[in-house]
Amino acid sequence: MVIGGITPEAFAFGLFTILTLGGALGVALNRNLVRGAVWLIVSLFGMAGLFVLLSAPFLAAVQVLVYIGAIGILITFAVMLTRSMTNLRERFTNQWWMSAIVAGLFFLFLLLGVVAPVWGSLSPDQAPAIVGTTEQLGVSFVDGNQFVLPFEVVSLLLTAAIIGAIVIARHQEEEE
Amino acid sequence: MVPTEAYIILSMVLFAMGAMGVLLRRNAIVVFMSVELMLNSANIALVAFSRHWNQADGHLFTFFVITVAAAEVAVGLALIVAIFRTKQSINIDELHLMEG
Amino acid sequence: MDIPSFADLNLGVTLPAVFLALGTTVLLLIDAFLPKERRHLTAWFALAGVLVSFVLTLFNFGSSETALAGMFVADSFTGFMNLVALTAAAITILLSIDYLKRTGNARGEFYSLLLLSTAGAMFMASANDLIVVFVALELLSIPLYIMAAFRLNNAKSEESGMKYFILGAFSSAFLVYGSALIYGATGTTNLQEILASIGGIVEAGSSAIFYLVIGAALIVVGLGFKVAVVPFHMWTPDVYEGAPTPVTAFMSVGAKIGGFAALLRVLVTALPFLVAGQTVEPVWQNTIMIVAALTLIVGNFVAISQSNIKRMLAYSSIAHAGYIMMAVAAAANPFTADFAARSALIYLLAYTFTNLGAFAIALAIEKDDGSGTDIKDFVGLARSKPVLAAAMAVFMFSLTGIPLTAGFTGKWFVFQATMQAGLVPLAVIGVLTSVVSAFYYVRIIVNMYLSDGEGDEAAGATPLVNWAVYISFAGTLLLGVFPILATNLTETVTLLASVAP
Repeated sequence: MVIGGITPEAFAFGLFTILTLGGALGVALNRNLVRGAVWLIVSLFGMAGLFVLLSAPFLAAVQVLVYIGAIGILITFAVMLTRSMTNLRERFTNQWWMSAIVAGLFFLFLLLGVVAPVWGSLSPDQAPAIVGTTEQLGVSFVDGNQFVLPFEVVSLLLTAAIIGAIVIARHQEEEE
Repeated sequence: MVPTEAYIILSMVLFAMGAMGVLLRRNAIVVFMSVELMLNSANIALVAFSRHWNQADGHLFTFFVITVAAAEVAVGLALIVAIFRTKQSINIDELHLMEG
Repeated sequence: MDIPSFADLNLGVTLPAVFLALGTTVLLLIDAFLPKERRHLTAWFALAGVLVSFVLTLFNFGSSETALAGMFVADSFTGFMNLVALTAAAITILLSIDYLKRTGNARGEFYSLLLLSTAGAMFMASANDLIVVFVALELLSIPLYIMAAFRLNNAKSEESGMKYFILGAFSSAFLVYGSALIYGATGTTNLQEILASIGGIVEAGSSAIFYLVIGAALIVVGLGFKVAVVPFHMWTPDVYEGAPTPVTAFMSVGAKIGGFAALLRVLVTALPFLVAGQTVEPVWQNTIMIVAALTLIVGNFVAISQSNIKRMLAYSSIAHAGYIMMAVAAAANPFTADFAARSALIYLLAYTFTNLGAFAIALAIEKDDGSGTDIKDFVGLARSKPVLAAAMAVFMFSLTGIPLTAGFTGKWFVFQATMQAGLVPLAVIGVLTSVVSAFYYVRIIVNMYLSDGEGDEAAGATPLVNWAVYISFAGTLLLGVFPILATNLTETVTLLASVAP
């Protein structure tokens, strides 16, 4: 089905791109921290949509659950816990113009260095309906022939992070 | 079908925006959110390449990135709250007890 | 689907790292269930775990096998890096016990975090897959962020953790994006398979080579932050100064072990023939050379103007990252790659002993509130604590690279590798900056021996700290007098998968 030369897929891609990049711009420029966090969630939501388009529905669900559900909420909490500066008087660092030039040049470098030369060379003829079913992904994590090592290392990492968060955020009064 | 490069360009724009946020903004939480955007841009690239190669390695990589991001959030926000309690401010320009 | 048998997993060779990681979780439980008056034992359990892992590494030494579906590689490179990392962890434990007590932060979790970080460095040394490189790097870093902020309600320490965290997360993003691009170009994250597919990409003249080049560049940026090379070094002095001194000591060594291990593996094993045109020279050699030269110059010259010993050692650690970077640049040449990798290993070992020793002395003269780390606090140390002063003098000589110390052995091999690879200008810069470095290292010796003044009573020089100093001192001298000890261990190190493209 093609409407006016634009396939539904292309339309969806455009929509999610606007959400993703618009949200990112909101994060980078917004003066209000709570709004910044909401913009981040908008951006993450757009990415979940992109994952669906990229034949990865399970990842899209994970994105919504973990990123929006957990990380987004945690960041909102942090904003509220540090609430006295929810509205920022000064947004940018003192050397913002230098940083802006660096970031702009970096983007140009990526664009000219990578994208321009490879445009069109890597396209598959047809997208698979789904890449890696949920079952395959699950098995890969615990299969000794696949990803069990990073899986275990990441589990250690989460342990470290939890201990660390508790150690850092504890109050002095709890010590005797 | 939307070509893989479109996704890669999108991810690069996002990566650059994230980097811009890190370099430009002075509030630690905003800087941190920008880092999340950068990690997410890598996720988009990984998933797009995964579709291109029609194999799930990129998806698995993405899982690990999401997990690591969750761990970083836990630590980062604990740090932010701890600093805020000590100093009542988390602007990174003001982190200058040590300079020289 | 084939279910692999237990033997296929080849878990035996992963044992040193896996034991340490599992031991850490047990250590957490031990700490939680020990009665309060026995809590001080946690550190000793941690030390025991490190020693067991050390012995396991020795038993496995010299094997050349992969495990866990090719994600883990256990060869002499891994073994040697493990030994260095475990040595650093053991000395750090000795330094931490009394320091944490006297600064009022004695908490058992510290040792679990330290061991997790060490395990991260070990996993990085054995990583044979970009995914493992990434998760292991995070396992190395996240505990370090926490340990840097370990001083409770101390703004300096918390800021140090925060700065390290933000820069660390930023650099991880570069590493992940670089890995993603390399995955995009080759369709795999396994280092050997990346190498295998590069030939096809180059031959076909496919433009995917651009993904490879940019991906490699981003990975170098990401790891460059971790090992603190110029221009990604800005965070180092602040973080080093603010973090608790034992943490700084471990950070200055552990992060470099992991970072350089991954850098060497990714660049030499996976991307050795990332060629430009028809030459065999990898395109990354020039970049690494420039980075190495800048690092040497900036690190050594800025160190001269520092008045705080921790900041001076921070710049000194940047400078030493520059010397190791010289070895990485030499490893770009396929004919000298293995020798260069060996020289990097020897340098890392020498640097570990010497630097930990220097930090141990800085810790000994530090006051409980974290002050007393100025260079002028060394005045008269030779009269009040002659043994410590003598050890410090040797460490300073070693950092400069005076013969019969470990530092000389390390520099000897690195310069030799650089010359063999034909990078004469880089070797010249290395020698000249070594001379410059003598200025700030010798200044400490002058302060200790020739300046008049009351000697510091060195409140932190408890028996445990003294032991740490003796061990580092012995290591520094042994490696300097008998370099063969290290060359024997590294003889079988080889990173190149094949010789010709």
